[in-house]
Amino acid sequence: MKNSRHKLVIGVVALALLIAILPVVGACATKPPAEGQALKLGLSICMTGKAAEKGSPMGHGKLDCIKYINEELGGVEGYPIDVHWYDNSYDAAKAATIVKKLMDEGCLFFTTNASAMMTASMEIANRAEFPGLASFSSPACTHPPKHIYAQMPDYGDDWAAFAKYYMENIWQGEGKPKMALHLLNNSTGYGARDAARAGADALGIEIVATEEHAATTMSEIDSLTRIKGKNPDVIFISSTPAPTAIILKNAYELGMYPGVAIGCAHASFTKALVDLAGADIAEGVYGVIPAVAWGDDVSGMAKMIEYCQRYHPEDEGNTDYMISWAEALIDAEILRQAIKHTDYEVLARGDVESWRATEMNGFRNVKGYDVEGLHGPVDFSNPEDRRGSKSVKVFQVKNGAITAITDWIEAPLVKYEDLEWFGK
Amino acid sequence: MDLPCGTRNYDYAKDMAILRTRTHWALFIGLLVIVFTAPLYLGNYWLGVANLIGITIIAVTGLNILMGYCGQLSIGHAGFIAVGAYTAAVLTNRLGFPFLAGLICSGFTAGFIGLIFGIPSVRVKGFYLAITTIAAQFIIIWIITHWSVTGGFVGISVPYASIGGISFKGEASQFYLIMVITAVCILFAKNLARGRVGRAFIAIRDNDLAAEVMGVNLLHYKLLAFFIGCFLAGIAGSLFAHWIGFLSAENFTLTDSILYVGMVVIGGLGTTLGPILGVIFIRLLQQGIMYISPVLENAFPGLPAGFATGVGPMVFGLVIVLFLILEPRGLAHRWGLFKSAYRLWPFSYCLDIT
Repeated sequence: MKNSRHKLVIGVVALALLIAILPVVGACATKPPAEGQALKLGLSICMTGKAAEKGSPMGHGKLDCIKYINEELGGVEGYPIDVHWYDNSYDAAKAATIVKKLMDEGCLFFTTNASAMMTASMEIANRAEFPGLASFSSPACTHPPKHIYAQMPDYGDDWAAFAKYYMENIWQGEGKPKMALHLLNNSTGYGARDAARAGADALGIEIVATEEHAATTMSEIDSLTRIKGKNPDVIFISSTPAPTAIILKNAYELGMYPGVAIGCAHASFTKALVDLAGADIAEGVYGVIPAVAWGDDVSGMAKMIEYCQRYHPEDEGNTDYMISWAEALIDAEILRQAIKHTDYEVLARGDVESWRATEMNGFRNVKGYDVEGLHGPVDFSNPEDRRGSKSVKVFQVKNGAITAITDWIEAPLVKYEDLEWFGK
Repeated sequence: MDLPCGTRNYDYAKDMAILRTRTHWALFIGLLVIVFTAPLYLGNYWLGVANLIGITIIAVTGLNILMGYCGQLSIGHAGFIAVGAYTAAVLTNRLGFPFLAGLICSGFTAGFIGLIFGIPSVRVKGFYLAITTIAAQFIIIWIITHWSVTGGFVGISVPYASIGGISFKGEASQFYLIMVITAVCILFAKNLARGRVGRAFIAIRDNDLAAEVMGVNLLHYKLLAFFIGCFLAGIAGSLFAHWIGFLSAENFTLTDSILYVGMVVIGGLGTTLGPILGVIFIRLLQQGIMYISPVLENAFPGLPAGFATGVGPMVFGLVIVLFLILEPRGLAHRWGLFKSAYRLWPFSYCLDIT
């Protein structure tokens, strides 16, 4: 009798303690969402227009991944992601109005897939302290660092990583190797030029020629003839697949390749390049990609392929789909950090306080995030470096297939804003 | 005579007045009230759209002077807007010019560049002139991207507009600034068109040989049309630069130039009202179709891939094609028919609207 009474007292005390502790435990954990509560994310995507070949698969990858997060993972800390997306048609004026719309709708941050569209939106966003994340970016988007972040290394980083690899692993001669640049006539091409201008001397590379081409070029025999006259050891191309294929074919016709080493930036180094140039001509060409290859054995690959096959089978094998899927995972991680460190009520307001909280508690707390192995780890904690992933891999076309030949190489931060000539 | 019923001209002042009747004044005051109270009930997004519309109206009004009144086809207008935008950016950002000085200089710089590219108009016209203005688009953008002063491919940031210490930072304050300048430009275009210069432009457009025989100096007036048209493009470019805050050459594409021509045609060539209606129609249509793809994608997840996103541009193209078939003389003409129908209301059945 005495024993059972003792047990009863212990039970009552334990129950009282549990009841007393519950609110404390509840306060420590993220509050579960109420009905209708969600985290708003804004997307400005060029699903149509002249960049639709990249924008369309990127839009699909992003929306499919958010569907996966909401339906299979139960959202972010229980909050579904409420996507507000609009097609900017690769039109700068439209992109500028869309960013205002996303701000009005109370989105916590916005993303763009094209660097040009981020360029059109960024000053409006920077002035309002509305954070943005760009999948593809040029140095101008993140230098000087304000409120715009980049998912991956920019086009300048491609050059820096390839040049470093070339000096350490390919160049066997004496003295400075001679490098020629062949650049698309927009920020994709000139991002690489700026990096070369900033870093060639330090790496011991002499830039002997800089040629540019249009996205619609039909022949680059004349520019390659000029380059040939400078007798380069290596040519670096920063462009898109179609013009790069023409440059490779013309270099082959002129007898320059095989002979010189050729490296490509990530915008052009896709399966489409090998298809367009022909596997025999593209054989041995180097390229830099800030992501793994489609089908690689990484933890996030199977789920992504499952969704791609189910909802957008036409995008299968497309690296852009994968990069955008990875970006959606990063978006979710930013929101997860934001909701973990901020009251929902603050984020729900969708005003400048919410944006500051998202940036300081969300972006800045993303440290070494893995992205399920789809690309290099993401870290936004350094206030001076707005690039999430700093890593690229060097690939080479071997037997017609794009094959990784290095592990992740970190592209060093170039502080363009400190260079006197940047933007002049 | 396009006058309201019962309205007669008893002196020159009345003949030249833009607002003739109490109804005109009531409509005008109503419009002013709506426009200037807009920031009270429009969010940042719609104010942003209104600002873009205002800026585009200035640019397209310039193109209408060139194309609609003087008959000089230009497919390089985005290039001239770029000249104005970059002039404003360089002057205010790099040289510290005040906004108003930058605005005026942008107009004059674009005007002078327009004069240079307008010189071929003395010898060529029609499609041949169109080709030379396309060349202007490419040459201007090439220079912008390769000249260190403009920031090249990196671009250049532009500070907020400010006048006398008042900085136009918010969307609402920018709205008032842009609307006032737009109103001034429209008034200028209206007065230009119904004056001596405007009549000379129309004479050249209708038959340049006959105009020359009547004493119209073709070289002078064609170049003047290029100068004025590009001056307004420069003003629009300057406002665009301060509004968007960062310039890149990709903001001024050939597609934009073609769209501006479309706005003039849809609004109504050779009328002051035409560019206003054409710009509002196209810009709102662009904003409207932006909603179609997300709504379709969410409502019908089983649609074939790419269908939902493709519907927007298809609707845009279809509306323009249908519009040109059903109303080839533009929205301004439709507005004229509407006014005519109510001129003798409720006895409009006897009205000859032709």
